[in-house]
Amino acid sequence: MTTTGTSPVWIAGIGVVSAAGIGLPATLAAFRNSVRRPSAVLPFETSISCPTFQVTADLPVLPARYNNSRTLRLTMLAVGQALAEAGIQGFNAATRVGVAAGTTVASQLNNIPFYEAYRRIDSPPLDAIHDYLHANLAQAVGDLLQVTGPRMTIVNACSSGTDAIGVAASWIHAGLCDVAIAGGGDELNRVALAGFWSLGVSSSEPCAPFDRHRAGLNLGEGAGIVVLESDAHARRRGRKNAFQVAGFGTACDAHHLTAPHPEGRGLHAAISWALAQGQIGPAQVAFINAHGTATADNDRAEGKVLARIFGPEVRFLSTKGYTGHTLGAAGGLEAAFTILGLREGWLPASMGFENPADDIPVAPLRQRTTISGEYAMSTSLAFGGNNSAVLIRRFA
Amino acid sequence: MTTGGPHLTNPLPPAAVLGIGAVTPMGRDLPTIAKRLSEPVEPAPLLRVSDDLLADPTVSRGLRRADRFVRMAAIAALDAWTQAQNACAGVPMERVGLIVTSGLGPHGRGFKFLDGILDCGDSDALPTDFSHSVHGVAASYIAGLLDLRGPSLSTTDFESGFEQAVLQAQCWLNSGSCARVLLGAVEELGEVLIRCASRLLPGNPPFALGEGAVFLTLGPSDAGGIAHLDATASAKDVGLLILDEPSFFPQSAFFPSPGTPGEGQGGGSPRPIGAPPPPQPSPGVPGEGETFSGRYASTFSPYFGHTASNSAFQSLGGLLSLSAGRPLGRLIHAPSQPSPRPPFDNAATFRALCDRSASLLLTLTK
Repeated sequence: MTTTGTSPVWIAGIGVVSAAGIGLPATLAAFRNSVRRPSAVLPFETSISCPTFQVTADLPVLPARYNNSRTLRLTMLAVGQALAEAGIQGFNAATRVGVAAGTTVASQLNNIPFYEAYRRIDSPPLDAIHDYLHANLAQAVGDLLQVTGPRMTIVNACSSGTDAIGVAASWIHAGLCDVAIAGGGDELNRVALAGFWSLGVSSSEPCAPFDRHRAGLNLGEGAGIVVLESDAHARRRGRKNAFQVAGFGTACDAHHLTAPHPEGRGLHAAISWALAQGQIGPAQVAFINAHGTATADNDRAEGKVLARIFGPEVRFLSTKGYTGHTLGAAGGLEAAFTILGLREGWLPASMGFENPADDIPVAPLRQRTTISGEYAMSTSLAFGGNNSAVLIRRFA
Repeated sequence: MTTGGPHLTNPLPPAAVLGIGAVTPMGRDLPTIAKRLSEPVEPAPLLRVSDDLLADPTVSRGLRRADRFVRMAAIAALDAWTQAQNACAGVPMERVGLIVTSGLGPHGRGFKFLDGILDCGDSDALPTDFSHSVHGVAASYIAGLLDLRGPSLSTTDFESGFEQAVLQAQCWLNSGSCARVLLGAVEELGEVLIRCASRLLPGNPPFALGEGAVFLTLGPSDAGGIAHLDATASAKDVGLLILDEPSFFPQSAFFPSPGTPGEGQGGGSPRPIGAPPPPQPSPGVPGEGETFSGRYASTFSPYFGHTASNSAFQSLGGLLSLSAGRPLGRLIHAPSQPSPRPPFDNAATFRALCDRSASLLLTLTK
């Protein structure tokens, strides 16, 4: 599936919050210097020992009803950056502003202290439930910004952030909103950590995407947000934007609940749709910011598809070596990193990769690399068999 | 947030409803549900889906690991898809979109995974409980059962997920991205929710908690079908106004004078503590001075109960009413002059949103 439309979807601003850095300058510094900051100490008690990628910055303080959601606070930090970069101080009542937000943790009542109390006593405190009911990500972001327009919280697991961008772009194509805030946010959570550990896809070492010795993912937290706007809105405010969502494709494997299709059937379709919408061929894509979780299955399937579509010389990387796997935030962050790559004209080394893998026909970038080109792509694969690709275009 | 006419200054063509599937406390097959919606219903604190409805031998292999949440969704989706079989013949599966929305998601399985963590430790909880605790689990099963290979969206919202999903389906169908969209909502009554509900909703709320799944197969507006569904139209002139819960809505907000009561009247009682304030009807919905005089109003909450996806069940009631040619559910307003009756060919769901003083609506046209 692709999102077709005649109205261009401009990217007016981006915001990034991750263990790689808070904001664009800090993130670029980490990328430039190949710095990653996995933490051995978890923010909660658990018997599992593995590195995670945590955000250590002060987060914005929100009104009381929202403030217990770390995911929302991470997201609002990225939203603030993205709006500032877009040159938007506020919205007037006539501006229709959509919010499409991807998440995993904020969509579930994964609160162990609450549930422990629930099992023990008749009347456990309900604060956790009240917090949860106020933390629907798209609704809360929209309420905090006091905007009206379509809202959607997307819970497509690890492709949620990319899918949110696709949904928001479809709203602008359809003329349903003038501006859309899109991307995702997620916090580190003990339940998710235990879940991925139980599935046997977590590594006890810093992750090594696409490497022969890759042993699984490391969880991270953060938020990645893009501010999209219609051509008419950009012209009304005299804004000249440099980047566009040129294409989006998404397709389901219809194969397995947790594993990707071994040949990457859905990912192949998603990338093909995105290229078709952008009306370009694979050779015009300067690089791909791959999903690259460092799990055996994901990287094998993804590597096969990248080789099949883009050829053996494909330039790609995984930024999860810097951020960890931020789940619902990953698609938003990686779309933003893709824009940064096009803007800066260089890509960081694919952190964690050292040894080519026998089962992956292509290898990611080993070192910082200069690139040039008009188009780049970010891909996401997810639980449930979702696969999504967003194509970014740079204008001179 | 408001969906519907006021914000959507660029309305989209409506979606054609090609198939309906439902697993509800009133049954699974549509004639049975319609029949029960035309009969009085006894008040009950909980309205559950019968386990018998979830033991479908035609999908037992594909659902052998599935729990109640997934089964309700998958069976309703299967029914909606099967009913639309002719209208979907020849459509490539890559061009069929899937949207599943749920407020609370598979929270029963989620708490089971927490049981595993608390009883066995973080390292030893069951992976299948984790993989079945994520929101996307229902969509994954449905895609696998029906081999749907187009876009798949799982979304969550405590109030307006179904309206959002309809809007997205209209976007996909109008742009040509999808030729068909299988869209639905699923909500499960979990034990934690039931036990905490009385404290979350104090004051003996006048409604029952419900569960179930409603799925629709949608096509572009020219695809024919049973009715048309629209999240972008205004609804000032409808045959049947479908309200969440009569007591949420002061009748004066909609009707110039008390309507002729239907049998089994509900409504009119004061809202309990913690309930939403009276809604401010959006510009797309008649407010003071703009009335529904001469039209009907019904509620389906006494039959399906309240869920985070109320609009899906309201829409089901509306579609069945349009098929029946008369308002089903608990009638709360009827024309003061019974004859000549206004044409009964459209309906609108209307919801008040907790804490947001806003309204949502979906319109259904036969």
